[in-house]
Amino acid sequence: MVLKVSASFMASLPGQFVMVRMRNGDDPFLSRPFSIYSAYSRGNDTYIEILYKVVGKGTEAFSRLREGDILNILGPLGRGFDIPSTCKKIALIAGGVGIAPLSFLAERYGEDIRGMEILCYMGAGTSESLAGLDRLEDLCSGVKISTDDGSRGHHGPVTELFKQDMDLYSDDDIQLYSCGPNPMLMSLQELLKDRPFACQVSLEERMACGIGACLGCVVKIKSGETGGGLVRVCKEGPVFDIYSVEFSEYNG
Amino acid sequence: MNVKMTVDIGGLTLKNPVMTASGTFGYGEEYSDYLDLDRLGAIIVKGLSLKPREGNLPPRIVETASGMLNAVGLQNVGVRAFIDDKLPWLRSVDSVVIANIFGETIEDYANVAEILNDAEGVAAVEVNISCPNVKRGGITFGSDPAVAEEVTRAVKSVSRLPVIVKLTPNVTDITKIARRVEAAGADALSLINTITGMSVDIEKRVPHLKNVTGGLSGPAIKPVALRMVWEVVNTVSIPVIGVGGIMNARDALEFLIVGAKAVQVGTANFLNPGVTADIIDDMERYLSEKGIDDIHDLIGTLKV
Repeated sequence: MVLKVSASFMASLPGQFVMVRMRNGDDPFLSRPFSIYSAYSRGNDTYIEILYKVVGKGTEAFSRLREGDILNILGPLGRGFDIPSTCKKIALIAGGVGIAPLSFLAERYGEDIRGMEILCYMGAGTSESLAGLDRLEDLCSGVKISTDDGSRGHHGPVTELFKQDMDLYSDDDIQLYSCGPNPMLMSLQELLKDRPFACQVSLEERMACGIGACLGCVVKIKSGETGGGLVRVCKEGPVFDIYSVEFSEYNG
Repeated sequence: MNVKMTVDIGGLTLKNPVMTASGTFGYGEEYSDYLDLDRLGAIIVKGLSLKPREGNLPPRIVETASGMLNAVGLQNVGVRAFIDDKLPWLRSVDSVVIANIFGETIEDYANVAEILNDAEGVAAVEVNISCPNVKRGGITFGSDPAVAEEVTRAVKSVSRLPVIVKLTPNVTDITKIARRVEAAGADALSLINTITGMSVDIEKRVPHLKNVTGGLSGPAIKPVALRMVWEVVNTVSIPVIGVGGIMNARDALEFLIVGAKAVQVGTANFLNPGVTADIIDDMERYLSEKGIDDIHDLIGTLKV
């Protein structure tokens, strides 16, 4: 979905999100958080894109929108991905619509940083649900695909596909970025136990406000330099170091 | 027309009757990018306890029909960290700051209230009596008239600030509680807190909230809140602050007409962080259009 927004959205960083709400009515009641998929200006106008899959009441309502409809949008919000200056090679590991912030990252930084190689591992349920593939093929030096039903690419989870390539990378030159369903992020965390590559993940949680007030979106972070405990995905995140996240049954 | 919006609540003078409800407005600063906080009648901060509290495990919120359930579990930085880390910033805001307090025992309530006596910039305390009393098997303080009275008396006996008591709607007869809390010396009442509710995931057959039950808020509870405010204003003589499902000025005006002297806006802040400024503007416009030059000429004018 392409949204015409105020010029302030040009400051959007990959990994940041927006809260979107239907203008009228109380059903669906709450705003929905979406990662920013792209942000750009054309002439005097600024646009952002979000990527969504119809999973519930909120996204179903979005699917019925027509061109020209008006939505309430708040953003850009949260802390985006951090790109270390020493980084030479990036691997994006995406599950489903989790591709959105990673595609934005490739778009924003791919051209800026000369000589950086961006590879993408993209997983989805079926070949039809590989949203955003064409764009990624333009942005990345290589895209590898997996599907749960085997209809395209590797038959199985995207983490399995990444595992096959792990030996090609070395700890000091690769930075991983990932976004997708929590079970996928959990298996990635498990996979990285033996090969602790730097890895940032963008998490998704139910939110009411998006600005740090409702305390609805907390996730458990292992105690460390930042203190740990239950922290807000909207404010301290949505991007976290994968090793700091304490995944468990409630967010898995 | 210049409309007088000022109201007095138990010794506090507010520039207008619009406050932010505790638990929906953080410690104020969270909203400063989206709203001129100087415009608010009062800011009621997130409930404070003696010690910091981490709150409940997630999931903590779920959307419901015209509302939401939350079981955040009173997560807060604790009263001392509030005074040291949050209050200095709030002092720069030209609005009245009210500290919402709660405890697990009656002594806790009194201790927190006492600590706040010396906190420069806190104009009043609002006592949340909707939490479980650990010494009495977890029964909510505010659901037993005698205990509600006892908590109020304990806070009043130590506090040098105006004391507002926030009532729970999860009772058989709210007027009984209101009467006892007034008798114990409360300077004002606010009502209602959230209504206890529940929601179930039918695929996994689990509650949507980790805590199983949570507090319902949003427009779904407004008719209940309005009815309870109506009952209470007809029972007590201290000022009543109306809370529950206020989304816009029309909702707020309903509470004022029924007899609330001020209102608190809660869940609506989540959907639009600038909503309170819109409510104040629209309220003023309504009064102006009706030829009412003092908001007191609207309060409690319900014709029945």
